[in-house]
This record gives sequence, C-alpha cells and structure tokens, in this order.
Amino acid sequence: MDLLLHLSIVIAIYSIFALSLNIEVGYTGLFNFGHVAFFAIGAYTSALLTLQGVPFSLSMIAGIGFAGAAGFLIGIPSLKLQGDYFGIATLGFAEIVRMILQNQVAWTKGPMGLPGITRPELFSWRFDTLPEYLVLALGAAILTFLVIGFLTLSPFGRVLKAIRDDETAAAILGKNAFACKMKSFVIGSLFAGLAGVLWAHYITFISPGDFTLTETILVLLIVVLGGKGTLLGPVVGAVVLIFFQESLRFLRLPPEWSSILGPLQQMVFGLILVLLMIFRPEGLIREKGKEKIDRD
Amino acid sequence: MDSLPYYLQTVLNGVLAGCIYALFAMGLTLIYGVLNFVNFAHGELIMWGAYFLFLAISEPFALPLYAAIPVALVITALLGAAMDFAVFRPLRQANRLTLLIAAIGLSFFLRNAAQLFWGAEVQTYGFEIRQGYQWFGLYLTPQQLAIIVISVICIIGVYLLFFKSRMGKSMRALADNLDLARISGIHTERTILSAWVISSLLAGVGGILLALDTNLNPEMGVTNLIKAFAATLIGGVGNIWGALAGGIIIGLAENIAVLFISPGYKDAVAFVIMVLILLVRPYVVIGERRD
Repeated sequence: MDLLLHLSIVIAIYSIFALSLNIEVGYTGLFNFGHVAFFAIGAYTSALLTLQGVPFSLSMIAGIGFAGAAGFLIGIPSLKLQGDYFGIATLGFAEIVRMILQNQVAWTKGPMGLPGITRPELFSWRFDTLPEYLVLALGAAILTFLVIGFLTLSPFGRVLKAIRDDETAAAILGKNAFACKMKSFVIGSLFAGLAGVLWAHYITFISPGDFTLTETILVLLIVVLGGKGTLLGPVVGAVVLIFFQESLRFLRLPPEWSSILGPLQQMVFGLILVLLMIFRPEGLIREKGKEKIDRD
Repeated sequence: MDSLPYYLQTVLNGVLAGCIYALFAMGLTLIYGVLNFVNFAHGELIMWGAYFLFLAISEPFALPLYAAIPVALVITALLGAAMDFAVFRPLRQANRLTLLIAAIGLSFFLRNAAQLFWGAEVQTYGFEIRQGYQWFGLYLTPQQLAIIVISVICIIGVYLLFFKSRMGKSMRALADNLDLARISGIHTERTILSAWVISSLLAGVGGILLALDTNLNPEMGVTNLIKAFAATLIGGVGNIWGALAGGIIIGLAENIAVLFISPGYKDAVAFVIMVLILLVRPYVVIGERRD
C-alpha cells in the first residue's frame, strides 16, 4: 500500500515536471535540455528557506518565483538562439546551476546536501503522512494540468504552435515570437519550480547529485514517450516511466548489482529515446492534426 | 608566485588547453557544416576515444603506446561512422527536434555504457610523470609538448584536407547547398561518411590528448561539448578557422580566470563567455544560419 502511495506521489510530481517541459518542447518547439535546473532552483530555494524557519506557503512561492525569474534571465540571451543553440545554452545553464549547488558550500552545504527538510504545512493543514502528501501532490498536479490545458487550448496556445511550426510566418502575421517564446519558457520554469518544491519536501533530503542530466533525460523521455504537444501525453508518459523506474527499486535486488543496474537502466532510457525518434517520433499519443510522418 | 613567468606559464597552459578544445570544435563544426545540426553526441566521441586508448594499453591487450593509439583512433572513427549509420542516416529527412532528441538520447546511452564498463571513477593512463623541460622559467612536460605538436599536425591536416583535396571540396559544396551538390554529381553519402570519420578522429585525438594531460571520466564528454560549442560560437558556426581561434580563446580565458575565481568554476567560464557573446553579438550566430 505504501509502495502504491509512493508511486502515485512521484507520478504526480513528475507529471507536473513533464507538463511544464511539454509547453516548451511540445507546444513551442524550444529544445530545453536543461529543464532540471529550474526543478533544482525550486527545490533548493524552498528547502533552504524552510530550514531557516520560513513557513511553507512563503517558501513555496519563493521557490516557484525564483525558478520563473531564472527562466526569464536565462531566456533573455538564449531565446534569441535557434533550435540547437538554445539546446546547448540550456544544457550549459543546468551544468552551471549544478556547479553552484556543489561549490557554494556557504549557501547550499555543497555536496553534503540538505537533510531534514520538513513536510509542509499549508493554512494549518499538515501534509505529513503519505496519503496526506498524495492529496497535496495530486491537487498541485490537477491545478497544473488545468492551467496548462487552459493555456494551450486558448489562442495563446495556438500562437505557440504556429511559432513552433513556422516562426517567420507567425511573425509576418504580427505575432511577437520572442515575447511568446519567453512567456512559454517562463511558464514552463514556474511549474518546474513547483515540481521541485514538492519533490524537496517529499523526499526531505536533496543534494546536487539529484539534479543532473539524468533527470533532464528522464523528463524529456516522459514527454516524448507520452506524446509531445498533447495534453495527456506527459501524464501517460509519467505513469509508464515512473512505474518502471521506481518498481526496480522495490525488487530488493542485491546491493552489489546497483553499480551495474544504474548505468544499465540509463542506457535503456537513452536507447528508448533514440528508437522512439526513429520509429515513432510522435510518441504514444499523437497530436491532433499532425500527419503520421512529420517531415520538414 | 606573482611574477612574470607565473603569468606566462598560465598563458602557455591556456594555449595548450585551447589547442585541444580547437580539435573538438573543428570536429563539431564540420558535422554542423555538412549535416546542419549540432551533434550532441560529439562529447561522447571525445570520451570514448580516450577510453579506447585506456582499453588498448591496459591488461588483456597491453599494447605499446605507438600501436595502441592508431587502434584507439580507428575504433573511434568506426564508432562515429556507426552512430551515423544506426541513428542519423535513418533520420536524414526528419525534423530538427527529432534529430536533436535522438542525438541527446544517443549521447546519454554512450555515456552510461562507459560508466557500465569502467565505473564512474576518475582514471588515468598511469604513465610516469617526467621532469619537464624548462625555458626562461617556463615549464613544459613531454605530454604538453606532444599536445602542441600533434594539434598543429591535425590542424594542418584538416587544412590540407578541407581546402586542397577533392573530398574537402565536396564537403564544402555540401555545406553550401546539399541539393545543388547532389545535382552536380557529388556522392553525398560518401562525403557525409568521411565527414563523420574526420570529426570522430579529431574528437578521438583531442580526447586522448586531454586524458594524457589530465584524466579520464565518463563526465568529460558533456563538459567538453559545451566548451567546443562555445568555441564554435566565438569563431562563427561552420567556420574551421573560427573554431581554432575560438578554442584557443576559451582555453586562455579558463586558465586566466582561475587566477581570480575558485577552480571549481573553471568549467563554467566557457558558458559565461558563450552567454556574453550571445548578449553582445547575437547576429554572429543568427547571421550564419541557413535554415
């Protein structure tokens, strides 16, 4: 039962994380390969503040806000870039964030990480036990789903898709491509921050090693496997992949296998990503109105 | 410490590191020129090149260095060709997002494969450290001398190949306009394959030199991909000489910056330079695009 609750909580948090990446990658066509940075900023901001005694309601808002602000700042230079360059710029940004977490020992305790993060208390409700935390995580996931669903179905969502499919054409029609991409990027960063906050207060211990390229790949795989540019895709992807990943942990395999199983599992993730791109780039759920084979 | 030779030594070390970054950047920019996409798995060619040499000189094979290096380079080139054959050739007509996600998936796969075989720990080739030469108060180890000599040979080789050979002419034609090149009777797939081989060889040589000077670990691919990319941005994407200059600028900046900031941030210098360039001269990049 605890396993099922744990799985549901992690799936809910990763659904938020994946939904936030999908608005960038799936709807706007921004190749964000450093999405974990915003997850990390949310997690560390909220964790550090609550460890100083700041109430959760404020630290959560700070975590989300910092992640969004970071998105805005990094967006100014990098959103001028086209496709691949934006990918490398965000990849580099994620590396810098990890370096800061590791090296600024005075702020972040460095590689030792932050133990003893408290479970949250919101409006005199305590979310301490697993079922209580599930309520919080699910509530946040549903809220995210509704907000992102509303945004992507609105005219704004159609502008994003137009920019993705042909930026020049969208610009000729009078859409400010840079501003729209920036909005999409900041919204994605805000929700990634929310996922990070929820993650830190659930796991109660975070360290720089939790926020590497591995997490970016996992969340990218969730989006791509589920179906990028669809509303349900990231949720489906999160259910499938988190179930696969977390159930491995509960198989009680001998500990000496872990040095082999870890890389092996990551290799499988990388391989699935490559195979999906070659054989079914649209993922499990296909975006409406897209041809079966999407060619440029 | 704070004397002239000390600063000159820093500059020398910077140029040395820069030569290696230039090799990475030239390989990256070559594939970009021909196929018009950033190969995210280029860092993994660097890393695997270094590990192939490690494999060849360690126990079951224990080849001497002069035999091990050609073997390692040939296998790296084969890996590059295999990457193209298995992943990028089926995606030749695919859109950019598909191509990039496949490249980053492939890079992740190769990186973890290295970790599976050799573990995440830092390794070294285990050559004995020899007394360096000393000129005017500057130290230069035999490894560092080898870095300079080999980099210069590679750069001259790339120049001859790119500007003086028929194959180089085909590559430049392909980079200019793929369809036009094909109509003119250029064998595109063969040219693309040779671009992969050259790019992998440059990555392999650079990876080996870097590992000789420092060490090997599965993370070295990603860090150096970012540096190579920053170097290509400085020089203008798709420009071989620009990549060379950019590599040396990154190497110098890194080594000079460490005089002022914590060495923990050394790898961040390339990224900061990249952001500054983008803020000041975004057209350097956009002007080069041929989408």
